[in-house]
Amino acid sequence: MVVKIIQLIISPLLALVVGVFFLGLARKIMARIHRRYGPPLVQPVIDIIRLFYQKGVSHGTMFDLGVIFSLAGSILVVLFLPFGKICPLSNSGGLLVILYVMLIAPLSLALSGGQGANPNISIGISRKLILSLGYEVPLLLVVLTVMTHYKTISIVEIVSAQQSTTWAFISFPLFLSGLSYFLILPAILGIRPFDVSSAPQEISSGLMVEYGGKYLALATIEHAFVLFISISLFVNLFLGGASNLIIFFVKMLVVFVLGLFVNAVFPRFRIEQAIKYLWKWPTLLAFLGLIMSVIARR
Amino acid sequence: MSLEILLIIAFGGALLTYLLGKLSSRVRDSFAVVVSLALAAFVAYFYGKPVEKTFYLGFLGLDLILRLNMLSWLFAITIAVIGALSVIFSLSYIRGKEKTDFYFFMMLLVNAAMLGIVLAGDLVTFYIFWEMMSWGAFLLISYNKGPALAAGMKYIIMSILGSMCFLFGMLSLSVSFDTLNIARIAPEITSASSAYVLFILIVFGIAFGIKNAVLPFHTWLPDAHSEAPAPFSAVLSGILIKMGTYGFLLVFYVIVGFKLFLGLGSGLLSFHTILCFLGVVTIIIPTFIAILQDDAKRLLAWSTVGQAGYIILGISFGTSLALAGGIFHFFNHALFKALLFFAIGAVEFRTRTRDLNSLGGLAEKMPIVFTTTFVGIFALIGVPLTSGFVSKWLIYKTLILEGSPFLAFFALAGTWGTILYSYKLIHNVFLGQLPEKYKDIQKSPLSMQVPLIILSLFIVLFGILPGIPLKVINTINTSLGFESLNVSLWGITSETGTLNTINILFGLLVAGIIVWLLFRLGARSVSVPQEDSYAAGAHVPKEKYHYTVEFYNPLVRMIRPYLRDVIDEFYYEIAASLRRVSDRVRRIYHGDIGYYVTYIILFLAMFIFIQLKWKPW
Repeated sequence: MVVKIIQLIISPLLALVVGVFFLGLARKIMARIHRRYGPPLVQPVIDIIRLFYQKGVSHGTMFDLGVIFSLAGSILVVLFLPFGKICPLSNSGGLLVILYVMLIAPLSLALSGGQGANPNISIGISRKLILSLGYEVPLLLVVLTVMTHYKTISIVEIVSAQQSTTWAFISFPLFLSGLSYFLILPAILGIRPFDVSSAPQEISSGLMVEYGGKYLALATIEHAFVLFISISLFVNLFLGGASNLIIFFVKMLVVFVLGLFVNAVFPRFRIEQAIKYLWKWPTLLAFLGLIMSVIARR
Repeated sequence: MSLEILLIIAFGGALLTYLLGKLSSRVRDSFAVVVSLALAAFVAYFYGKPVEKTFYLGFLGLDLILRLNMLSWLFAITIAVIGALSVIFSLSYIRGKEKTDFYFFMMLLVNAAMLGIVLAGDLVTFYIFWEMMSWGAFLLISYNKGPALAAGMKYIIMSILGSMCFLFGMLSLSVSFDTLNIARIAPEITSASSAYVLFILIVFGIAFGIKNAVLPFHTWLPDAHSEAPAPFSAVLSGILIKMGTYGFLLVFYVIVGFKLFLGLGSGLLSFHTILCFLGVVTIIIPTFIAILQDDAKRLLAWSTVGQAGYIILGISFGTSLALAGGIFHFFNHALFKALLFFAIGAVEFRTRTRDLNSLGGLAEKMPIVFTTTFVGIFALIGVPLTSGFVSKWLIYKTLILEGSPFLAFFALAGTWGTILYSYKLIHNVFLGQLPEKYKDIQKSPLSMQVPLIILSLFIVLFGILPGIPLKVINTINTSLGFESLNVSLWGITSETGTLNTINILFGLLVAGIIVWLLFRLGARSVSVPQEDSYAAGAHVPKEKYHYTVEFYNPLVRMIRPYLRDVIDEFYYEIAASLRRVSDRVRRIYHGDIGYYVTYIILFLAMFIFIQLKWKPW
């Protein structure tokens, strides 16, 4: 019981630290690729603390509540994800619940932004929702392939099955799905070339435009959580999770940096191009993977 | 207390309401509310008391029977509750319109007829109430005149086709087994040939499929739902189309029985697999059509078609979990879709429009309607801690574990389409910029808020404690011959995956409180109007800046070419050619006496010719 409570407290904190570290790292690596020096690694931490002391503007109750709910929703997702041997809410509904709890954060943020009544926000939300429809199609296929292959809906069992055999990423039908997930990872993270919804030069960062002060701080923390969640989901589903925390974070780091390298050099897609891309190659790969695993199961 | 009295109250109450309306509208209103609430109380009283009673002997040698079991109880309580709430909602919605007595009479009559359907113990009784419901619904759909008349006509034509199929199947059963008592057909049909069983399933499938708006029989629904008065749209979408679901359950699992039903055909060509695919198609296409809609009620109507697909998928997949999910989803859909139609009705009542492009910013003006819509939208999407999540979880889980990931994929993808149109609905109506003309809009009246609040409380309650309805559903499952599920108050336990909603609730609550404290610790924020930060303090003309028109334009441009309602066009084509043919036939009756004389002479000449040539007589 005590162990469980400690896990409940510690896992969101770990996720927060790792997520914020990734935010800093991303800026540093991007800068180096662009031959700039870049901000210090702890810049996001400094920003968040500073933002908490700054005055923000509010547009109503939903505007406030949405930001709170979105961060709470993201924290809740972390409780369902196993990292290392820690998985506080492993036994409360499995991967299907994760898929649905992952909805709370973006929906709340969208509702909050909706009350901001800024045209840039609505354009950003519209693009974000279209984009998420775009990447959910391959993502659902990928997740279903994994669940079909291991005949379970529990993410803990998926991890332990990989640890007793081999990583899903290097086993036959599943590497197609793994590849597909890796291809859509930038879309899930909302980084280039898929940063249509937060395009700073085009629509003034879209959803973020009305956020200042603590709102922006909480939204940044939420973004850090999203980074953590999508990458750790990849590590758990395809790289066999890990037996201890260090290995887990190393795996996450490798995936994240690889993703950054691929995407630091791309310009931004238009939303139609993004959808066309997402519904072409990643979907095809994921679809093939699902067919293969259904055949293998028969 | 017996079942006849329940029906007598239902029908007698409807008639008395009409008569009382001639005296005073105030008395009529309170009487209608009392009757509908009393019905809900009586139905609740019958919980767990199975009754079977022959109330009329010898209708053409067939007994008329009323019976109540857990399955019909669940449907009856849903009908009674949604019916009562829609009557309460109607009080201020319908005030000042014409023919209000007739309106209340019809509302109560349709509810009574639906109660009759689920209480019927034989197919004749079922059919009588079924027709009453269909015709009552027709009159209510056409209540608003104008385009509503066309919508009603479309509905009643399809409904009559369904009834014909039902009558045909019923006659065939009567000839084959010499009884229409549901309990007595069931054991005898096991000896019938599988071709005959297939015939029965298809005939009744068409009859109930039309009511339940399964593709390709869905075309009446979008028109009817959007043109009907809002409280009746809630009844239509919440319970009336679910009579089709009830019919499916009755024919598949009570009359034919699950062994026979699941055993028809094999592999991908088995009857129930084909139905599952129909269910999936019914989920995916209407969901995406809903994204294209700009009329709030039409959007919800297409969403109803899509959600009905989940119910069909659940009940035709044929495992214990899937059936529980399907029945639970029927129940949830009744709750949240009634809520959403009520909410749009409340908005329309004040703003006189339901055009998603011209509304906006009503959250501050109608906080209760907004909050309840928020709950309804989350249940529609299936966010955890609303009841909509649990039913979908049950369906997905069984689809994945039984090795049908493709069905699961399309069902899940439907959810993401649902997010798009749900967000459009709540965003374009309640969030964003408040148009000038709605600046002094009033809150919605209490009689509209009460049903909204009750429904959203139910949704949250059954989302956190899904065990309450699941216990009832589990009893239904076992009575239909399926294995029992391990239901606890907060979810389902099994070795292949457990659901625990209490953990999710506490996780979210604790996380929410921590984040809220963090939020409170930060520097204070100031509340500013929209132009303040958008225009950076500079003066801007008071116009609409907020982007709501063609909200998903980039996506819509891509998908619209693929989303024509081909089936509807096909039906209209049939109707048009029928009209052309009838027009030709009509021209025979020219009206000029000379033509008729010519017809007679030609006819006689033909006979004379035949007689002379072949001498048959």
